Amino acid sequence: MAQILLRNFTRAGNAALLTKGTSCSSITGTSAEPGSCQLHTTPACCEIRKLARLRVVDNSDLGKRAMAEGRPPRCIHVYNKRGVGLIGDKVLVAIKGQMKKGILVGLKQKQRIKQPQFDSNNLVLIDDNGSPLGTRIHVPIPTVLRTILKEKTLAKGADYTKVLAIASRYV
Amino acid sequence: MNINVRILTKSVSQQYAFKRIVTFSTKPTQQAAVAAVPQQQEVTGPSVRKPIVPAHYRFVYPEFLPDPKIEWRNAIREKLERLDMLDRRRQIELPEFYVGSILAVTSSDPHAAGKTSRFVGICIHRERCGLRARFILRNVIDHQGIEVVYELYDPTIQKVEVLRLEKRLDDSLFYLRDALPEFSTFDENMEAEPLEEGAPVPINDIKVVLRPRPWLERWERQNLLGVANIEQYIKDKHRKSAEKVQKPWEKFDLMKQYRATIPEEEQKEIFAEVHTELHTLELQRKRNKRKRTFVKPKHLA
Amino acid sequence: MLRTVLSDLARLRLNGFVCSVTQVREKGHLNRPRLRNPYWFMRKQRSQTDDQVTGENRSFIKEVIHDTYGTPALIKGVQTYEQKQLIKTNEVPVSTEPWTPAVRRCGLIARKIGQYPLWLKNGERIRTTLLQVVDNHVIKYTPPEEYKPTQRPNVHNLNRYGCILVGAESTNPAQLTKEYCGIFRDSGVMPTKNLARFIVSPQAALAPGTPLNVGHFRVGEFVDVRGKTVYHGFQGVVKRHGFKGMPASHGVTKTHRRPGNIGGGGEKGRVWPGTKLPGHMGNRWRITKGLRIWRINTKYNVMWVQGSAVPGSTNGLVYIYDTILPLRKPQVAPPMPTLYEQPEDDAPDDIWYEQVHNFKDESITYKPE
Repeated sequence: MAQILLRNFTRAGNAALLTKGTSCSSITGTSAEPGSCQLHTTPACCEIRKLARLRVVDNSDLGKRAMAEGRPPRCIHVYNKRGVGLIGDKVLVAIKGQMKKGILVGLKQKQRIKQPQFDSNNLVLIDDNGSPLGTRIHVPIPTVLRTILKEKTLAKGADYTKVLAIASRYV
Repeated sequence: MNINVRILTKSVSQQYAFKRIVTFSTKPTQQAAVAAVPQQQEVTGPSVRKPIVPAHYRFVYPEFLPDPKIEWRNAIREKLERLDMLDRRRQIELPEFYVGSILAVTSSDPHAAGKTSRFVGICIHRERCGLRARFILRNVIDHQGIEVVYELYDPTIQKVEVLRLEKRLDDSLFYLRDALPEFSTFDENMEAEPLEEGAPVPINDIKVVLRPRPWLERWERQNLLGVANIEQYIKDKHRKSAEKVQKPWEKFDLMKQYRATIPEEEQKEIFAEVHTELHTLELQRKRNKRKRTFVKPKHLA
Repeated sequence: MLRTVLSDLARLRLNGFVCSVTQVREKGHLNRPRLRNPYWFMRKQRSQTDDQVTGENRSFIKEVIHDTYGTPALIKGVQTYEQKQLIKTNEVPVSTEPWTPAVRRCGLIARKIGQYPLWLKNGERIRTTLLQVVDNHVIKYTPPEEYKPTQRPNVHNLNRYGCILVGAESTNPAQLTKEYCGIFRDSGVMPTKNLARFIVSPQAALAPGTPLNVGHFRVGEFVDVRGKTVYHGFQGVVKRHGFKGMPASHGVTKTHRRPGNIGGGGEKGRVWPGTKLPGHMGNRWRITKGLRIWRINTKYNVMWVQGSAVPGSTNGLVYIYDTILPLRKPQVAPPMPTLYEQPEDDAPDDIWYEQVHNFKDESITYKPE
């Protein structure tokens, strides 16, 4: 069972976890030293699909606690037709036993020319109306989100532009 | 003819042969680039009457050399491509830079508030040729690693500044993704550090410290020079498998080198065609720079 | 006995001689029209027997060629000959009928010389393929009444279209057969390496010897490009049809790249026609339709067309036609029957479509809202 969990963890492939020393050791701590941990090291699948682990980058209480405990949210649904999340897409995540919605604000996947590619898959938690749970995003977000979220706002009725308002920086 | 020359030179001295081989990707030669440039001039001095094109042009303007794959080559297409590149270079200053240099790219962005965006970062990779030439910048902003791909001849790019002109020990620095974040963190408001005119491009021999495994790639197989602690994380099985995939004979494979590169004679032809134009652009840039430096103290006063 | 047999034979012979009735058995089988190749399908290359020609004679042959067709010259980036005596048909014919969307114009023979990106004025990057029109000349025009194609067209199209034979890439006639050179005799054009047939309306007829260049098409119009796709040889289903293959492990033996099941049993217990199976891949004539011309270079006769899906390899031959897609047909009349006037000397080499960013312009900026 533990083996399966570990495998799932690497397959979801979130290096952001690994940048955080605490979370890394809390997960791999069961096995041994970092050099000899029993994770298999196939290249990470960078797509956001079901069961992909994400990194909450806003300062919502829920998100902060989840990340601090080393139990990052898992994507359990992508609200688009392809089932693979792209930048600005809404996803449903399982976080600390709850189901929350979130917006993808940074991806590890290959991006288009001149659009930034991040080292982790970043998520901002929102409620059903589109307003964010936190009050600040502490990493840069791509400028293309301004256009994407504005378009989605018109289409869906929920107001996603509040996410843009809490951004600290654009790249 | 070219092979003959190479074989001859090889027989004279292996090292010498390597420095004469001219690469498109500058894979084996970029380390040897600095060493090769002065030696090249020595070599060409007596044999050729006048070295019209400076020998370092192929490192400064690598994208002017076409893809060496013979099936894709066509003289007219390459010529048209070069003309377009020169047209673009007349509009915008595209400075000399290498993998490992720190750049600041200002591009127009329809999504940004001010309709422009500026990104500072270290160039970790440079690839492709002609109008497709592109490079990847990497930086860590707010503890978040970010990479952006830019195309060199993209007309939405407004300005390319070289903040620090230097090289690294390797041809591509993808291992910075697995290194500690401080090795790819650069200040956004960094001042440009001008290099003295005519000085050789310095090689930064910094060795980066990698994070523990799992890595994005198997760095132990790639014979990286710019990594400090790779031995710390690999085990005997990794060492063995890395040894297995090594291809030490490839450096003796002259035919492979020949296919992967543009022959020296053709390089000369290509650069002879664009040299005068590039040279005038360079001079113009220098003149502008001098003007700028002359103006500056007035402002301060 | 013998006598009767002989008389019978004689009678038979006599009968055949007198009645001359042809056998009607299996008439339908024989009556099918034979596929005849067009008359210009013939052996091109002459077998080379250079050892019997002395050096003097060789130079004499060269002299004769230069006298008849002009000296070798690099015209618009293509190695050819100055065919000055050909340009006799350069004057514009008095066109009687104007262009209508139903008119079929002549096409061009081109070489695909590579691909590179262009940018639109809104900053978008487009991939383009470069096609160089190589030294095209009209060889012959066959009017509709005389044009008898191998496969007869539909009845309502019968005798509506003529045929223009176009040649590209002049070459040394000493290397070609006498019969092949005979095709070019009436036009006065130097024998060419490549020939192509274009079905045209009689309004779009061209006189033999007319040079065709890239000005035949205009920037912003749409074209169809026909070429022979890259040959891959006999390929399996993974490469040929993009099948997934089967797993590498988990007990799979000897079926990693095989198609697997190819059909059901019972009543349908056979291989259905059209089943995707291994076979020859590529080397087929394919037409990519509706490609926009983004840019034209009149100096080198090059046009930039949309996309990288033009069939054929780099440096391969392609044929360019006006598009047949009804919504992409030109709204205003294209040059009819072709462009005769030469571009002025001070005209720029490049003609850009209005949406495309010219590299000579300044960088693209966006206006703040």
